[in-house]
Amino acid sequence: MSGVEAGEFKIVFTGPMGAGKTTAIAAISEGEPVRTEVENTDRVAHAKESTTVGFDFGRITLADGSVVRLYGTPGQVRYRFMWDILGRGAAGVIVLLDASAPGALVQLDVFVDAFIPHVAHGALVVGVGRTDVPNAPSTDAFAARLDARGIVAPVLSVDVRRQGDVMMLVRTLVCILGSHTAHGVPA
Amino acid sequence: MSKVRPAKLSRELARKVLEGYGEVAGVQCAVLFSSDGFEIASHAADAAASARLAAIGSSLAALGTALAGEAGLGDFERTTIESNGGAVTIMRVGSSRSMSLAVVAGKDAVLGQLLWATQRCCQALAKLLDP
Repeated sequence: MSGVEAGEFKIVFTGPMGAGKTTAIAAISEGEPVRTEVENTDRVAHAKESTTVGFDFGRITLADGSVVRLYGTPGQVRYRFMWDILGRGAAGVIVLLDASAPGALVQLDVFVDAFIPHVAHGALVVGVGRTDVPNAPSTDAFAARLDARGIVAPVLSVDVRRQGDVMMLVRTLVCILGSHTAHGVPA
Repeated sequence: MSKVRPAKLSRELARKVLEGYGEVAGVQCAVLFSSDGFEIASHAADAAASARLAAIGSSLAALGTALAGEAGLGDFERTTIESNGGAVTIMRVGSSRSMSLAVVAGKDAVLGQLLWATQRCCQALAKLLDP
């Protein structure tokens, strides 16, 4: 079951804690997104004050009139059950990563492994933030990591606070989906 | 650096409160958890089960908060999931949003009694939080 209706589909933003999933959805959503943030008590894992424990939800309308429902997942592995709930029926997935965070390349594997089973035709785009931080891996390093595993997916450098950057991720994903219209995924 | 959580609450005292509450007919286990899904204290649940209940419970509490807010109904207080094998109640502890209690009960539990007892338990836990 694809869960995809003509003219309306679902995209999931995922990635580790602090990668900017809530910020990215807020940057592009039409109207105020639904948030489920609570106080982050695990400042060892990340210094930020709040964290998403349910999901984010927003929506956008593309130029062709199709409506995209945007879901953001929690980032911590203990919310793995939410990853599967939210991944079900997704037309595509955007993995966000903070290149300056420790183990960012390993995190790429974790989220790709969790979400690849949910999306058909490799409808996956990777957005990497803070690649300008000294010693952070470049977008090429993330692309090479995917390539080594035989996964073909665009890797873009992004600042999730910028609407244009987040829309670029969405448009890139929609292009991949569009190349598979024959399989029932909207253009 | 230590984690911020249960700064004011003694896990041992909380566990004792849950233990007493475990006497309520039909109650199988209870887990007190932080709003971001960490177990603080539990009764009759092993470590793996209580960790999972804490994470799922925190998502439901957060979704309950989002839904109540969306509907203009104020703050989340509690939610009960009823199934053919029993019920799970998730109730906020005290007036803060910092923690909730999840209680799993079998078919033999009477829902009204369960909710009343859960409320009493949350009140006792809230007193520990803010004596």
